[in-house]
Amino acid sequence: MISAGPGRFFFHLLVVALFLFLLGPVLLVFPISFSADSFIGWPPSGWSVKWYVAMLDQPTLGEALRNSLILAGIVTALALAIALPAAVALSRGSFPGRDAIMALLTAPLLLPTIVLGLALLIIFVTQGMIGSWPGLILAHLLLTVPYALRVLTTALGTLPASVEEAAASLGAPPLSVFFRVTLPLMAPGLVAAAAIVFLVSFDEVVITLFIVGPQLNTLPVALFRYVESRTDPLVAAVSVLMVLFTLLLVVVLERAIGLRKAIGGKGG
Amino acid sequence: MAPHLELHALEKRFGATRAVQALTLAVGKGELIGLLGPSGCGKTTTLRMIGGLMPASAGRIVVAGRDVTALPPHQRDMGIVFQNYALFPHMDVAQNLSFGLEMRKIPAAERAARVTRALAMVRLEAFARRKPRELSGGQQQRVALARALVIEPSILLLDEPLSNLDANLREEMRNEIRDIQQRLGITAVFVTHDQSEALAICDRIAVMRLGVLEQLGTPFEIYERPANEFVAGFVGRVNRAPAERLADGRLRLGELLVQGSGTAGPGPVTLMIRPHRIRLGDGALEGPGWNSATGTVTRRTFVGDLLSIEVTVGPATLLVEQHSFAGAPGPAPGDAVQLAWRAEDTLVFPARVPA
Ligand SMILES: Nc1ncnc2c1ncn2[C@@H]1O[C@H](COP(=O)(O)OP(=O)(O)OP(=O)(O)O)[C@@H](O)[C@H]1O
Ligand SMILES: [Mg+2]
Repeated sequence: MISAGPGRFFFHLLVVALFLFLLGPVLLVFPISFSADSFIGWPPSGWSVKWYVAMLDQPTLGEALRNSLILAGIVTALALAIALPAAVALSRGSFPGRDAIMALLTAPLLLPTIVLGLALLIIFVTQGMIGSWPGLILAHLLLTVPYALRVLTTALGTLPASVEEAAASLGAPPLSVFFRVTLPLMAPGLVAAAAIVFLVSFDEVVITLFIVGPQLNTLPVALFRYVESRTDPLVAAVSVLMVLFTLLLVVVLERAIGLRKAIGGKGG
Repeated sequence: MAPHLELHALEKRFGATRAVQALTLAVGKGELIGLLGPSGCGKTTTLRMIGGLMPASAGRIVVAGRDVTALPPHQRDMGIVFQNYALFPHMDVAQNLSFGLEMRKIPAAERAARVTRALAMVRLEAFARRKPRELSGGQQQRVALARALVIEPSILLLDEPLSNLDANLREEMRNEIRDIQQRLGITAVFVTHDQSEALAICDRIAVMRLGVLEQLGTPFEIYERPANEFVAGFVGRVNRAPAERLADGRLRLGELLVQGSGTAGPGPVTLMIRPHRIRLGDGALEGPGWNSATGTVTRRTFVGDLLSIEVTVGPATLLVEQHSFAGAPGPAPGDAVQLAWRAEDTLVFPARVPA
């Protein structure tokens, strides 16, 4: 396996090619964002940071970014608040219809998002929730709770029930068992669930397109609208910042989870 | 003396499976009782019902005269040592031990003192700040034991606590458990499927099969006076031979007439003789109370401290075990040998009716 040779060389080449294919379009955004042209083209005729400066002059995008961050934050908190008790009930309790409820709660993962978006549009129009915070939060919860539930039930599933039973036998009432044993042990799962929910909400376009209004816009949708009317490299500059932000989040979380695993969790 | 722990017609059903059936058992204060039986006979299920980790389908559990059947585990005051230890991976050894004391609202100073004492008891003083995964299997097992004992529970439940250890450590730990249990005078239920472990440390043993209690008795009774063929076969090695009980009480094994214990018969019976209770010899031991026979050696196996010899006697093949001696290889296959064994070592049970 570790032998060096032509096979290994070509394997590495293949991996590099695959990465380029997957990440190429993303990487291309970086040089374009430093273009001095006023349209997206390759290669740029000159280099400048003017599009980064121009971003500061975009109150619409700024507002949209603020909305997206607030939305993702609220959705993350609510999704975890809903998914955590649900995951505990689903993986620790035993009641009739457990599997059916699990299937129902994770079903939105399988639905085409465009269908979900249309359905929400129809409902929200009659309720006057288009372009409203509750509408957006509700729609994003519908989308993200299944992810959170999946991650949390997996985290709970890998946590041996006997550890909780041991705590109970040592005199811990159910709530103490949860806060002293279950919760600390599933912390990596919680962090992972929060990260996924945040990113899904922050990046979501399809459903959001149906339910944003003139008063309330999110960053991905605002960008989408922007490129419909303009083709300057400003979007590239914004994209670069979004990519870096996402990357930063992933790295920080990986560090956090990795660190936690190093402290507790693993082995045993 | 009133029993400390009583099980009354305890029962557990999983759908159609009856994992434990009509189990009635009384354990005295300070007694170590073994639950012994083959895999799947309901040992763990019984223990979990006693500890409150699993509701009973029927029956009652009584501790010191108080019915605890419906009590949740955290109100039962029982220490449980799990087969996989189930230590808290995010806490160090001292925190693991301290957990049960915190739940009992013991003041911090006393908590620290008791943790230190418990660690000394299992000789792990130097490991207080280690995480469970930084300990060997044997050390983890000792932490699990200390964690269950430090709360000074009224009853200690152990589910195959030694099964993950190697042979030497196993023996050391089982003696340690026995010592601590006797020193603290704690009532304990010890689940195992290892008969030598049960025989070695238990005051009494409950042998189970398919959820049913087959026999309850001291190790001596279980070994020397097994209640039935299953118990005799499960506890210790044993030869089995079909025979017939005659009207005069003697037993016919092919051409051979022998004497045996028990009252089974008349009619078809099963003889059971432990291999190490048969002497190979010159017939000098023959006399009242002894059975003797002549047979042909068919196989000889040298197992270090034991010599195991297979002898064909009429319709039966008997395994004979002897201590091995240097310079004495023992009889070879084909040799004719004399066998002798005591009448009381010939266990007789009714032949099982083919179902
Ligand atoms: N949760 C469960 N659901 C269904 N059947 C179960 C459950 N737990 C145990 N059983 C069944 O009950 C019977 C007794 O199981 P138990 O775990 O008590 O056996 P055991 O004597 O502890 O065996 P082992 O020595 O292998 O640990 C088995 O037939 C088992 O399949
Ligand atoms: Mg078991």
